[in-house]
Amino acid sequence: MKTAAELKYGEIGIIGDIDASHPSSRRILEVGFTPGQEIQLVNISAFNDPLAFSIRGTVIAIRKNEAACIKLI
Amino acid sequence: MKTLLLEDIPLITLVGPPNSGKTTLFNYLSGKNYKTVNYPGATVEYSISKIQRKFNFNANILDSPGIISLIPNSPDEKVSIDSLYSHPQFGVPDLIVVTVDSSQLSRHLLIVRQLLQSQFNVIIALTMTDILYRKGFGIDINLLSERLGCDVVVIDGRTGNGIELLIGAIENNIENIKIIGKKNPVIFNSSLDVKYLLSSFREIEAIEKEAISRPMKAGDKINIKKANKQLHILNEYIPGTNQLDQPTIKIDKILLHKVWGLVIFFLIMAFTFTSIFWLAQPVMNLVDSAFGFLSYEAINILGNTWYGNFVANGIISGTGAVLVFVPQILILFLILGLLEDTGYLARGAMLIDKPLSKIGLNGRSFVPMLSGFACAIPAILSTRTIPNKRERLLTIFIIPLMSCSARLPVYALLLAFLFPASKAWIAGLVLAGIYVLSILSSVTIAGIINKFKNKIINAEDNSSFILELPAYRKPKFSMVLTNSYHSAKIYFKKAGPIILILSGVIWLLTYFPDFNPKVDTHNLTKDQITEVQSSVRLQNSYASELGKFMQPVMSPIGMDWRVGVSLIAAFAAREVFVSSLAMIFKVTDDNSTLQSSMIKEMRKATVGDTGQKLFTPATIAGLIMFFIFALQCVSTLAVSRKETGSWRMPAIQFFMFTSIAYILTFITVNGLRILGIP
Repeated sequence: MKTAAELKYGEIGIIGDIDASHPSSRRILEVGFTPGQEIQLVNISAFNDPLAFSIRGTVIAIRKNEAACIKLI
Repeated sequence: MKTLLLEDIPLITLVGPPNSGKTTLFNYLSGKNYKTVNYPGATVEYSISKIQRKFNFNANILDSPGIISLIPNSPDEKVSIDSLYSHPQFGVPDLIVVTVDSSQLSRHLLIVRQLLQSQFNVIIALTMTDILYRKGFGIDINLLSERLGCDVVVIDGRTGNGIELLIGAIENNIENIKIIGKKNPVIFNSSLDVKYLLSSFREIEAIEKEAISRPMKAGDKINIKKANKQLHILNEYIPGTNQLDQPTIKIDKILLHKVWGLVIFFLIMAFTFTSIFWLAQPVMNLVDSAFGFLSYEAINILGNTWYGNFVANGIISGTGAVLVFVPQILILFLILGLLEDTGYLARGAMLIDKPLSKIGLNGRSFVPMLSGFACAIPAILSTRTIPNKRERLLTIFIIPLMSCSARLPVYALLLAFLFPASKAWIAGLVLAGIYVLSILSSVTIAGIINKFKNKIINAEDNSSFILELPAYRKPKFSMVLTNSYHSAKIYFKKAGPIILILSGVIWLLTYFPDFNPKVDTHNLTKDQITEVQSSVRLQNSYASELGKFMQPVMSPIGMDWRVGVSLIAAFAAREVFVSSLAMIFKVTDDNSTLQSSMIKEMRKATVGDTGQKLFTPATIAGLIMFFIFALQCVSTLAVSRKETGSWRMPAIQFFMFTSIAYILTFITVNGLRILGIP
């Protein structure tokens, strides 16, 4: 299954599930990355990490390894 | 302060997610006249104030750190959340006002819902409705209030409209509480975690969907898109409200560009960094000479007596040593505040997160590190924004290596000794090299510490970088100014007393016991008598005793007790090294030519009776090396102790950095001598 970390620049995905075993998973949920939400990879930092996603009308930057726990449909 | 706070008046706590307009609202309610207090024994800071008199309502208002959820994610967050329920100094809040960005309802209502479930009395201050309207949406306040079960007031952060309404709502709520009695909030139960979070979001999304009215033209296109997704998604997609701010997207295309983003980032940092020096320098010189003048006048008025000297060299010079850094700190916070307010700092942190994470730091370590070039004290205080404890401790650990501005006068003197005025450009290059060396050494040491992290830093935390990149906006200058003023005040309060007391102690050590030495006054002018007296006084002083005791440590690095005493004096503040040397080499304080007359005296100085010159290119280079690494700043140690909660960290910092400094000075001095440089 594809994760948010594998999205290409500008690509849109819909969140299917959040990997609850990741230590940051709860914070990721709390900032609004919940199943069913549409996200778009809007920016990639200079060293390809962190990634910035648009979610619920705002942009949130998270590290690549954290994006990997966001599973897409 | 106690009497102000412990009066029996209602306590209103302000809560809100980051970027929801909480600080703006606090500034309106408090009239920018607030006190900053520390949570006892922790690093969480609160601002407290009375509601401005013009609102005619007597209550305390407490600003809390920005949180998005009542489930804590770090030890510090736990402290801020626990203290919402019952603050150890201020008790249980009567009412909580939550700021909620109306264009971010589905995210920001999470904390509201949790607070309501905890049975707090809550009022929502709905902000940024203008953004919502601009996108063509409306919001039904009554419906929102009804569905959530609390009052909702719209406020405008830019004009302050709606604040009166908010005060009215607060008054009504407080009256109500008086009648039905104050509820005791129950600690939020987080055992249900993920399932609970998802159901919360589902409820909130349903409320948002009802409260936000759609634009008049909801075309077919959107419905088709919606229909396609309905199979999978929990909530109905609200077209439009989730649109990103278009100018922000365009600006980010450049500012977060893989190449240009970095270039601009370094340009902005270079600008910030140079302006700390160039903008502040004239003001610092002014402060410096003003206190020089005051000190001179004090001696004139009180006479050359012990108390005259105490006032002039102890109190006045000590105060000057504290105040001289205030311009720099103000300018640093002003620039950082403006960058923060526009939304750029979050981008900067994102750009630099990857390289910093390689050495065990975090993108958020970057602002504290930059602040370290002005002064380590505000820099260490600003590490509070790093949620991960280990990364925060490591950031605090390396901050003293950043070349703070107190080292600048020392470098200026030493470089002027090495390079004549005609070759000032070489001195400039060497100075740049010193800064580069300070960055490289801090990065190297961070990397090494990170390898042995478990031995030095006892904290294991999940390393994480989750940061909202807010839409760009025009900074509010007056608000930034107020915050800079408060930051400078915190510096003054934290570092001030220590520097002042130490200046006094050093004055005592250099003045007593032989404070009125008998000298042969035959054939001498009054000024010369004073000069000879102070020189004899110093030679017989406690400081010189102490210095002679240090001689065995100083000899290997080619220096003598006089440098030793000045190095000890520099613990009050590094730049005291210069004035201490001036005192020891009996240079009369003639402002315009202080440096050149000092250098002249320094060139004459010899080690003991050997005739060997004390200050040579080798020993000067050694001293520069010492200042790059040594942690000789009591205020930094004190703040490090306060922020890390024990003496462990400052002790390791002190011994590690000072021994590295000593060893490298030894290598530099003796290495240069072996190479034939005296």
